[in-house]
Amino acid sequence: MKGTMSEIEAVIGLETHIQLNTRTKIFCACRADSWGADPNTNICPVCTGLPGVLPVPNQAVIDKAVRLAAAMHVDEIRPLSYFARKNYFYPDLPKGYQISQYDETLARGGHLDLPMPDGSVRHVRIVKLHQEEDAGKTVHQGGRRLIDFNRCGVPLVEMVTAPDLRSADEAAQYLIRLRQLLRWLEVSDGDMERGQLRCDANVSIRPVGFEGLNPKTEIKNVNSIENVRAAIEKEIERQKREVEAGRRIEAWTLEWDEDTGTLRKMRSKETEADYRYFREPDLLPVRLEAGWLAAQRAALPELPLERKARFIAQYGLPAYDAEILTEERTLSEYFEAAVAARGGEAKSVSNWMMNDVLRLMRERGVLAGDLKLRPQHLASILRMVDERKITGSTGKELLARVEAGGQDPETLVAAEGLGQVSDEGALRQVARRIVEDNPGQVEAYRKGKVTLIGWFVGQVMRQTGGKADPQRTRAVLEEILAAGTDA
Amino acid sequence: MSTPLCDLSAVEIAGRVRNGSLRAEQVLDSALERIRAVEGRPPSLEPYELQAEDRSTVHAFITLTEERARAQARAVDDAVAAGKDPGALAGVPLGVKDIFCVAGTPSTAGSRILANFVAPYTATPVARLEAAGAVTLGKVNLDEFTFGSSNESTAFRPPPGNPWDPGRVPGGSSGGSAAAVAAGEVALSLGTDTAGSIRQPAAFCGVVGMKPTYGRVSRYGLIAFASSLDCPGPVARTVSDAALMLGVIAGADIHDATAAHVPVPDYLGGLEQDVRGLRIGLSPDYFKLRYPDPQTGELREQPITPEIETAVRSAAEALARQGAEIVENVPMPNTHLGIPAYFVISRVEAASNLHRYDGVKYGFRYAGPVGDLKELYRKSRAAGFGRQPKLRILMGMYVSAEQYEKGYYQRALRVRTLIRRDFEQAFDRGGAHRLDALLTATTPTTAFELDAVYGDSVLMQYADLLTVPADHAGVPGISLPVGLDAQQLPIGIQLLGPDFSEARLLQIARAYERQTQTEAWRAARPKVLNL
Repeated sequence: MKGTMSEIEAVIGLETHIQLNTRTKIFCACRADSWGADPNTNICPVCTGLPGVLPVPNQAVIDKAVRLAAAMHVDEIRPLSYFARKNYFYPDLPKGYQISQYDETLARGGHLDLPMPDGSVRHVRIVKLHQEEDAGKTVHQGGRRLIDFNRCGVPLVEMVTAPDLRSADEAAQYLIRLRQLLRWLEVSDGDMERGQLRCDANVSIRPVGFEGLNPKTEIKNVNSIENVRAAIEKEIERQKREVEAGRRIEAWTLEWDEDTGTLRKMRSKETEADYRYFREPDLLPVRLEAGWLAAQRAALPELPLERKARFIAQYGLPAYDAEILTEERTLSEYFEAAVAARGGEAKSVSNWMMNDVLRLMRERGVLAGDLKLRPQHLASILRMVDERKITGSTGKELLARVEAGGQDPETLVAAEGLGQVSDEGALRQVARRIVEDNPGQVEAYRKGKVTLIGWFVGQVMRQTGGKADPQRTRAVLEEILAAGTDA
Repeated sequence: MSTPLCDLSAVEIAGRVRNGSLRAEQVLDSALERIRAVEGRPPSLEPYELQAEDRSTVHAFITLTEERARAQARAVDDAVAAGKDPGALAGVPLGVKDIFCVAGTPSTAGSRILANFVAPYTATPVARLEAAGAVTLGKVNLDEFTFGSSNESTAFRPPPGNPWDPGRVPGGSSGGSAAAVAAGEVALSLGTDTAGSIRQPAAFCGVVGMKPTYGRVSRYGLIAFASSLDCPGPVARTVSDAALMLGVIAGADIHDATAAHVPVPDYLGGLEQDVRGLRIGLSPDYFKLRYPDPQTGELREQPITPEIETAVRSAAEALARQGAEIVENVPMPNTHLGIPAYFVISRVEAASNLHRYDGVKYGFRYAGPVGDLKELYRKSRAAGFGRQPKLRILMGMYVSAEQYEKGYYQRALRVRTLIRRDFEQAFDRGGAHRLDALLTATTPTTAFELDAVYGDSVLMQYADLLTVPADHAGVPGISLPVGLDAQQLPIGIQLLGPDFSEARLLQIARAYERQTQTEAWRAARPKVLNL
């Protein structure tokens, strides 16, 4: 496996664990979310595996896992699947086995067509998608092992890709798209920092054109998408150096050290552990009725990449706008509702959303779906602007005011006299006074510094509190200033 | 001499407590008196040396919960005095096999590794019994983690003796349950049956034991042995008492996903119906023992003890005299595969179920210095588990290993399907036999002597040869006493029926009991009560 750098490609597969955002754990009534809770305060006999307890499946877990499977375009969601025991000893695994799925798992196959920023698409196959329970957490502290069982029994979907990714960027893109999808489907909050989305990366390199797989290393313990990218990049470089130096790549497990940004060897991979899987006798098979499954599939929302494509085709949006507006599901729904309420003008709606609505959301730290400024409010503000009932700046002001108070924008305009000054007489009066009060500027203008017209318009706007129609104002001012020359 | 209160049936005790003619505390006092008279030294973890008096006493209780019982009895009496319903089992003394968790009570599983484990919650069947007014006297002995058929594998010694001859075993693993019921220490006991662990000791001790359909009774709180086989069920002195108890413990449970959502019939209500027209089968495959020779692996065959075969046939005649139709020669060709398949399936599940006992969270932990976590596991498990759990872990790990799993575990599961098919064909309404029940001996022999079989795991397992098929198939079975052999040891027969046919099995058993009520052997009393 010798060659120059340019002929080498990376081969990457990602193993993800997705924490489902159900209310309760997978097999007991404890809360699923223990974020911020003191260790071992969100536990019960069932999730701590006391003698004699039994698991009782949580239907919400199955619902969410099915939704995710459908969105991953799996070949089949099995009408009959089984839970299995994965047996191994570890102190944070209180039963000594993890309830998972092994043979006849929930779903078979699947893929994600991953668009890359350069316009290419990477077809990423899914080779494993199943439900399982999480184990607890072990913290090593000064030579002691501290165990927190809060996480025991938190519902997970394990999803593993084929070795289809070819660069650290592609791996990062996969995680970005997966996280977007998880939130879109409302199956997981997908926050890597909180462990709601976890990722181990299998990395090997090979000469371009070689179809086989070389020995791989496994990178563990990476807790952000940026770090996944960095860790994979580092590992690819290391493997290239090893091969250049004529050494072999050994099947190590590597641990990412966040503080130093480096990879550390955890252990040499010995032979595969034998988990002695067998079907979990404490649980009945998971039976999914054909009708129910069909209903679940039918209820699946349009997926983000599909919606993006439709926004481009249907509304004629630039790809850039479509991407941003479909980043998050309620934002995309907001956009469509606003366009519908406005009766078209998609690009104008898009501009206002990308400039102003998104800023409001950032300021308030909310999703589009949580804004008080509803899509019909935005549409009615846009309509008033387009119909010149209010000026653009009044419109922008209104966005913030509606968001703050939740009132109807048209009512606000009427009540507070925010409508444009369209009375020609009133406008002329203001314009004439400004011309009279500023002989210096008038003279300069008349001598040819016509750019001063902008200054005159600004003065009128200030006098009218921004309610004057800027185009009208400009025309009136030009007329008055021109008339003066003749006089 | 009047019958001591503790020897009354559960039906009678509950009836009289409920109508106010008897107080629960009087019954409790009588039971405690009996316990003091027959128990002998309490079983413990101390080094065990057999003493002469151990062979004349019962040693059924690992833990006596006298205060808890007193409080429960008073609560029942108070309820009656206040005109409230005290429950269907008001004042009935109950012994719980120490494989069930009972809040605030040591739940040891008969093992050193759980000797100090106090459960923070109560098993569903126990909770239901107590809610119905039963008075829990304590936790009774068993084979360690229910692994055995004689109670000799318990870590709490002396092991229970058979009340009919305390030099003999009570059977197992619900041996403490059967012995305590036979000796009148309690009227009812909650046992578990995985390969025959209710029916076999019931037969050895001359009492009634019922293994319900798998899923009929919740397993929540039952410390698991083989989860796909374990069934909680009643041990009682009469068929009516077993019916009364089953009605209380049966039914769906939100804590057990495998507990069936099948309505619970009134078992007691239909009990006195006659058996006219019912089809009861006899199978040649249950009159002989076929087993692979432990040395050569060759299939060997021998008849069951002639006295027992005779007892089964005369029971069939007794039922025929009441109008039942006896169907001979029902083939149950896979019966002999029950034990080998059980050896594999139960051990795979057991090894996994025993994983959690690691000395880390609760239970026994090795107290000496250890180098690392693995050593803590190894030493705690080595010292905490007795011989039977270790054998079962080794075997279970072996036959579920990736390279052997297909040849053993998957094959055993297929055998299990074949055994189930035998029953389905025998009970098939449109089939050749159309049985309501299959009548067989419960055990190939009567109770054997302490130490006679213990140590030979394979031989010991064959005590379950006639009972284990029903566990594989998940169908219900009841063992009931039909007489005594020449050594004055009880003989048991069992009736096996289709899924959820408990009411029918109880009805047939009751018909037999009714018809033989006046037979001479019924007046015989266990030896420990004649001292």
